[in-house]
Amino acid sequence: MSTLIIGLSLSFLLFLLSAGLTLIFGMLGVINFAHGALYMLGAYVSYQIVQITGSFWLGLLFAPLIVAALGALIEIVALKRVYSRDHIFQLLLTFGLILVIDDATKLIWGFDYKQVPTPEMLTAPVALFGSQIPSYRLFVIAFGALVSLGLFLLLDRSKWGMIIRAASSDADMARTLGIDVNQVRTGVFALGSFLAALGGAITAPLVPIELGMGFSVIIDCFVVVIIGGLGNIRGAIFASLLLGMTRAVGFTYATEWVELLTFALLIGTLMFRPEGLFSYKGRSA
Amino acid sequence: MTLLALESCDVFYDKAQALHKVSLGVEANEVVSLIGRNGAGKSTILKTLIGLNRAASGRRLWKGDDVTALRADQLGRLGIAYVPEDRRIFPNLSVEENLRIATLMGRQGGWNLARVYDLFPVLRERSAQPGDTLSGGEQQMLAISRGLLTNPEVLLLDEPTEGLAPLIVDQLVEAMRLINAEGMALLLVEQNLRVPMKLAHRQYVIDHGAIRWSGTTADLQVNRAEIEKLISV
Ligand SMILES: Nc1ncnc2c1ncn2[C@@H]1O[C@H](COP(=O)(O)OP(=O)(O)O)[C@@H](O)[C@H]1O
Ligand SMILES: [Mg+2]
Repeated sequence: MSTLIIGLSLSFLLFLLSAGLTLIFGMLGVINFAHGALYMLGAYVSYQIVQITGSFWLGLLFAPLIVAALGALIEIVALKRVYSRDHIFQLLLTFGLILVIDDATKLIWGFDYKQVPTPEMLTAPVALFGSQIPSYRLFVIAFGALVSLGLFLLLDRSKWGMIIRAASSDADMARTLGIDVNQVRTGVFALGSFLAALGGAITAPLVPIELGMGFSVIIDCFVVVIIGGLGNIRGAIFASLLLGMTRAVGFTYATEWVELLTFALLIGTLMFRPEGLFSYKGRSA
Repeated sequence: MTLLALESCDVFYDKAQALHKVSLGVEANEVVSLIGRNGAGKSTILKTLIGLNRAASGRRLWKGDDVTALRADQLGRLGIAYVPEDRRIFPNLSVEENLRIATLMGRQGGWNLARVYDLFPVLRERSAQPGDTLSGGEQQMLAISRGLLTNPEVLLLDEPTEGLAPLIVDQLVEAMRLINAEGMALLLVEQNLRVPMKLAHRQYVIDHGAIRWSGTTADLQVNRAEIEKLISV
């Protein structure tokens, strides 16, 4: 039972991060290596807000907003200049961003681990089907599910989602319909940054906040994004569930097989279905 | 009044020159056709008009104002709509979303969702389907309707009847006639004279990236043999 809970909470965290990554790729054509750094920044900023205000909830709300604003700035100042260049420039740029964000983090917060305490009301364990489940884990699942639902509603039902989908699939055609695609790109990068930071802020009470935390998670996100199909957000949710559950089950029953299984899945996908396990013709975003 | 014009435009793809000193214009309410064989430069002209290609030299004019520097989205909002050669329906939007997205720029005018559905009833039947599940003719109707819903003053149509069955072509010709009768100017690109002779008031003949002939449809009738030679493959 607790394996299921851990798997689900991991899956939703993975989805928050990979959704941003895959949206950014779909719209901007850029693989954002700095996504993990934005996730880390979300955790640090929420830590800072908790330090100042004492409220986990204010951190959860404002850290993503602050990082989203930073994301918009990054897109406008830096990324905008490299869209028309070779992919290697985009790769180098987002890689350079990791170094900049890491160094800035060191300067501001130093090298020590930081911690965000679990919010008071979510500390008690809950009895569920005969096991004791940490209630914060349940909160992560419920919150992740809610945000995911909100994201799908935004993309599928709202005017903004329609614009993002259109501009992702044919930017020039969208332009002729009066859509300022440059603004849409900035908005999508900010949205992706928001989701990454939200992932960071919600993970903050579960793990030590440290410089390397973005790196390990970004690898898993790349796996999710590739298995789900690059730019395919529906694929990303299935792939997140697949990977999250695999990890949770693996860690419980066969720790040494987890990495092997994950990468076998990744390599298998790349070899036999490079468009992703969950893509069907012509669908994106 | 000349709505939209190019003035002595040169356009390049990398080093290759696709247009040579092209000048042309569309008057309010008129149907102008642009004819020429495959590779002549017709699509390049339309893309230059709507701002998807940049002219290395020359100007783009809107009602006499210089709009050379405007982007495609700005030109769209001025009142220029584009129905591209390959239709470019958004495959991940439903038919109705493909239409609604054109209304977002908020230009007022006689065209709305209901009227477009009346013009092409099959689109109403298919409104919930993904855009890429339509047949070629239906996609063309959708592309034209999407352009109409921006309520433009001029509609640029790139080979709208290419590859379609005669019955569908007739339906599209009637639709274009009606659209123009309500006051919208059309710039119609075609490879042959079949449709232009039915609809156009004036015609430009293009070959190897330059305008070779221009005149009224009546003039063209007189010089038809010579012009057929310019556009035959
Ligand atoms: N995107 C492009 N890149 C390079 N060359 C192009 C491109 N589009 C068109 N061309 C070239 O420009 C010339 C004019 O093409 P186009 O305007 O598409 O002609 P038409 O529409 O009359 O068939 C052709 O020689 C074509 O090969
Ligand atoms: Mg063409």
